[in-house]
Amino acid sequence: MPASRDDFIIAIRSAFLKKNVKQKFSLLTLVFLSIFIIILSGVNFTPIKKIKVFINEIVYRSSFIVSMPENLIKNSYLKIKEYSNFYSDYGYNKIELKELKSENISSEIVKSENKELKELIEDYTITKDKILAKVIVDHQSPFLKTVIINKGTADKIKIGTNIYDRSYLVGRVIEVNYKSSRVLLLSDLNSNIPISITPGNIQAIITGNGKNLGEIKYTKDNLIENIEDKSIAYTSGTGQIFKSGIPVGKFSIIDKKILVNFFSDFTQLKYIFAEVESDVQKKPDSDIKDFNNSKSLTNTEKIKLNLLNEQIVILNDSNSKLIKKNKFLNSETNQLNQKNLDLQSKVNTQAEKIEKINNDNAELDFLKLNLIYSSKCQKTIFKKGYKVGSKEYRECILNKGKK
Amino acid sequence: MINYRRNFFFNKTYAWLPIIILYISVLNEFDLNYLNIEYFSFNFPFILIFYFSLKAYSNFDYLLVFLAGLINDTVIGLPLGLSSLSYMLACIFASYLRNMTIRPHLIKDWFYFLFVISLINSITYSILFLFFSYDLDNMFYVINNLFTFLLYIPISYIFSLYLKGTNA
Repeated sequence: MPASRDDFIIAIRSAFLKKNVKQKFSLLTLVFLSIFIIILSGVNFTPIKKIKVFINEIVYRSSFIVSMPENLIKNSYLKIKEYSNFYSDYGYNKIELKELKSENISSEIVKSENKELKELIEDYTITKDKILAKVIVDHQSPFLKTVIINKGTADKIKIGTNIYDRSYLVGRVIEVNYKSSRVLLLSDLNSNIPISITPGNIQAIITGNGKNLGEIKYTKDNLIENIEDKSIAYTSGTGQIFKSGIPVGKFSIIDKKILVNFFSDFTQLKYIFAEVESDVQKKPDSDIKDFNNSKSLTNTEKIKLNLLNEQIVILNDSNSKLIKKNKFLNSETNQLNQKNLDLQSKVNTQAEKIEKINNDNAELDFLKLNLIYSSKCQKTIFKKGYKVGSKEYRECILNKGKK
Repeated sequence: MINYRRNFFFNKTYAWLPIIILYISVLNEFDLNYLNIEYFSFNFPFILIFYFSLKAYSNFDYLLVFLAGLINDTVIGLPLGLSSLSYMLACIFASYLRNMTIRPHLIKDWFYFLFVISLINSITYSILFLFFSYDLDNMFYVINNLFTFLLYIPISYIFSLYLKGTNA
């Protein structure tokens, strides 16, 4: 028993402390060094932060270079996949384009109204510059969904900067270096997004599920049952983490499970937009605010008036066309009525004529039969019959002499 | 002379190949994620580090493994030093097994490897959850663990072929 314990202790000691010929450090030293670095990385200390930024810059660039062959294979694979779906995508896009065109006008009004309301809520103006950034590393680990972009503090990017793919929200910056930054994607488990859901104006918080989808983490007043399939989620701006009104995704209900399909495909990110903000002087004076509001109001009203004028012109045009058509149809109806009356009178005269002819024909037949059967039906001194011209005589003649 | 130099360069590269592959794998994270196979992921560096530590490969410098861990943390975005600690623990456990075992057996190594990666992933998860307040999906860790465990045998077979090549 003591011998086996000795073996165990010897094995442990040699595992921790024994150095091979080429090893410069023992494993125990390196373990302590790792723990020391972990503690240091948790401490907000400027020299360490600078060293970290320096390491990040080198590692991100190296990772970008090393990833090139794999990215080439990956991109070729995705391109082939894209080509195979090309025709079906084309048909789908065509239908979608038609729908979008019709929605465009109303969205313009909503946009201007939105801008106006935003300016009413916030007492400062923000100039927004979206800068284009390239995704240099997109190793989406199953544990953390992040990407690295080639813009950093040198390009006015700071922690919390909102990141977009076209106009869709992608995530926000969580780590900034001089010429690179790390973006936490919406699909990450650690990302919480305050959203509004339309229709219904339901307030909720969604979080990534780690698999390119989102899930509802919290809904105000348990309104989860009110969420419909294909409802749209956009940022509510609560907590000022994300700007309000940015499209996030569409809801889909699969087996009573509510999931958010993000508008942007995070696996296909190549270039993204970072919203660099610079606060322009605060405008606390109500006069300036009113002036801005009135200015924005006039802009909104202008757009509305233009659209209404256009609608009036279209309506007038269609109205005059309808009046013309109406007149033409009226005259045509009159003509047809007249024709109808003429034809009716014609029919009547012809019917009379036919009746007369029929009567004549009947009389002619009677006369013909009278010539033949008058002797049979006529009343004489020696024979019983009917008086000529009576109704019975006529019937007798028509019955060919039968009484 | 040229031929000798070429051979020398080739031999050197071949001898340092595990470390080169380790650095490529931590910089590139080749885990076939883009195939979008649900839940599929595995930790290649763990297999490589455990295998070569177990075999006490002479060119497998622990300091370089430690640095590879730091690079991995930077690329993935984990707190600096966490992967280094995981890699060092993998080296320690492999080294302990090597010292304790007289007659090595692949299946025994394989199950010991499962214990080691489970323990290391638990430590990593605990540190991230308790000290850095990360939200993590347990299922990912379990499946990553499982695939790493399953892929140990085929990958160790390839590594054994490599080691045979170095001895030849």
